[in-house]
Amino acid sequence: METIAVYWESRIKTYGFQRVTDLALFEFFCPPAEIKHLGEIISQGDIKIFRPKFIIAQESDHEISFIFCLPLKEGKDFHASLEKTPSLTNHRYIYPVSIIFFYGPHFGDRYGIANATFSTLSKADIKIIASGCSSASVFLVLAQDDIDKAEEVLAETFEVAK
Amino acid sequence: MEKLKIGGLKQSLELCQFDLRGPDSSEEIASKVSKLLVSKKINMEFLTYYPNRNSYHQLTFCLNQDKFSTTSEILKKECSLPIGWKISSRGHVGIITIFPHQSAIKILGVIMVSWAAQSIPIYGIATSLSAISFVTDYHLIDKATEVIQDLFQLPEDHAPIKPEIRYYQSDIVKGD
Repeated sequence: METIAVYWESRIKTYGFQRVTDLALFEFFCPPAEIKHLGEIISQGDIKIFRPKFIIAQESDHEISFIFCLPLKEGKDFHASLEKTPSLTNHRYIYPVSIIFFYGPHFGDRYGIANATFSTLSKADIKIIASGCSSASVFLVLAQDDIDKAEEVLAETFEVAK
Repeated sequence: MEKLKIGGLKQSLELCQFDLRGPDSSEEIASKVSKLLVSKKINMEFLTYYPNRNSYHQLTFCLNQDKFSTTSEILKKECSLPIGWKISSRGHVGIITIFPHQSAIKILGVIMVSWAAQSIPIYGIATSLSAISFVTDYHLIDKATEVIQDLFQLPEDHAPIKPEIRYYQSDIVKGD
């Protein structure tokens, strides 16, 4: 059985933009063979109490890079925990960064959302520090100073549903 | 020991994955690639972007498996990508999305340990406000799901884990 539903919008609708400011971004690396050990560290050690606002991981050149964004204060403790963990020595951090995120109807199921987002930011000369799009949501990590401008230009591209 | 509770679990359909790596360029790679894909009406179901170490950037995305050939062709066409950018791909991956109630980092760690013990690889991770998504091999997606079901307690009235509906976006554009 096939069901056809019709949904049309002149501008892509979103449920609104949300921000998280004053964050630190941490990056660290792990060879795929060590991922079990890394999992043990973050699920059993000091690190398990942290509440990251954003996580992505990418595999490249025989290692997996992890990016965690945490509130600045929590980030200092996270950094200290990483320092105490010999197998996670390859880490660096960037601060302050902010996240702007948004989601909308069937964002995960239709084309054009990523293009609308990235072309809007590119035209406005806003550099993306990191991004993750999954589960119908778009997360953008930006320099803290860019967050107002980013929301302004994204709000011109997307329509915030009322 | 009491199982950790999670709010939900779902599997994707069969997808494919592209990893693009290269140096910084005048045009943002995420913008350039999303423009190429939108011209063929291809949806990216999962995406991560981060300028990797040594100034190399990486854009990873997953899309429906039936778009693998078209996307490969678009990306490999001359001048599609900036100079110095390399493409690697996986033809058959899937995404498992978990909705944790709390302690997302602990759940992430537990899954990393348990999947590694079963030789289930992780090719990508991204979080949203309420979910963690993992990219893995499609032929291992049922095994990966079973591991999670053994580890965590799901709500009794949980929705089906496998997707039951596939969405198609029409080419028809309504006139003004």
